[in-house]
Amino acid sequence: MNLKPIIYVLSLLFMTATAAQAHTPLCACFDNGDNTITCEGGFSDGSSASGVAMRIEASDGTILMEGAMDADSTFTFTRPESDFTVIFDAGEGHVIEVPDRNIIF
Amino acid sequence: MKSSFAALLTGTVVLGAATMASAHFQMIYTPEMALEQGGQIPIKLVFTHPFDAGYTMDMGTPEQFFVIRTRGENEPVRTDLKEELKAIEWASLTNTGKAWETMYQARGGDHIFSLIPESYWEAKEDAYIKQNTKMIVNVGGEPGAWHEPVGLPTEIVPLAKPYDRWTGNVFQGQVLLNGEPVPNAEIEVEYLNHQPLLDSNSFAAEPAVTVPQESFAMQTIFADDNGVFTFGIPRAGWWGFAALDLEEDFTYKGQPCSHDAVIWIQAKDIN
Repeated sequence: MNLKPIIYVLSLLFMTATAAQAHTPLCACFDNGDNTITCEGGFSDGSSASGVAMRIEASDGTILMEGAMDADSTFTFTRPESDFTVIFDAGEGHVIEVPDRNIIF
Repeated sequence: MKSSFAALLTGTVVLGAATMASAHFQMIYTPEMALEQGGQIPIKLVFTHPFDAGYTMDMGTPEQFFVIRTRGENEPVRTDLKEELKAIEWASLTNTGKAWETMYQARGGDHIFSLIPESYWEAKEDAYIKQNTKMIVNVGGEPGAWHEPVGLPTEIVPLAKPYDRWTGNVFQGQVLLNGEPVPNAEIEVEYLNHQPLLDSNSFAAEPAVTVPQESFAMQTIFADDNGVFTFGIPRAGWWGFAALDLEEDFTYKGQPCSHDAVIWIQAKDIN
């Protein structure tokens, strides 16, 4: 009997559960005063958000921009002309939405 | 007439006792160490007696005032804030002393405010006092390098986040001189017992607590062999820790100088 696949699945489950409890995703966005916005992402345990997917969506759900957190866990973009929401997407249970009214000046 | 004389006498005795029992504390103050979100925050540098809101000393021009910002695993970024300081007058309950203020733009993570003040001549002790001080603000709950030394000549390194203590937690710190632990360091602990009023640069007249006896106004504890001290936090608010006279034979302008290290914590009630 080959237990390897079961162990692998169990490990994955365990890892997911641990990760969800150990850290909470964090993302805040700041107006840079030059028509650009910088979002800073991270986790409550201090781990890096480098590589986390970032999306800027219009109010109807249209994707205006897509990218990823850089090496310093930041993402800078030009302010869209219409209403928008920033989405920090680190996977299920780790998604943060920052509506444009919550951008800090 | 007799009763007013008695009242005056009692007042003098109480005031005298209170002054003797409290200690010098260099403050780096802002209303909130644990901020939900970033923005402009006020910073005040005041050298005072926080438990009594007592005599506030004239600060000279700081030798250094800087902040080290760290966020997650990113490299720390040091920003010099000395040139941003503006001179103010801070009113205690008994006098007015020279102090400093600035506004700071805080984004996410830990912001370790660090001050090397000019030495202060304390005539009553025939010695100078130099209290290198740290205060750490966190924005948004993402931690940084709050537990790393910033490299002050004398420094208290926190072993717990100074901004996340519940009332009833302990706070531990390690006392360092030139980066090395100071065994058995003496530490004075005081509660910030009068609310700082930032608009008027003064302390509220009303104290938060009264003491059953003068020993309670300024508590003295000692570090262990590794320079580590532990303090149980009995009440929400700001608590200051001043490790005293860490460098034997330290002098300033040919006079003895107490080379101290200060750190502040802000505790919250768990409800």
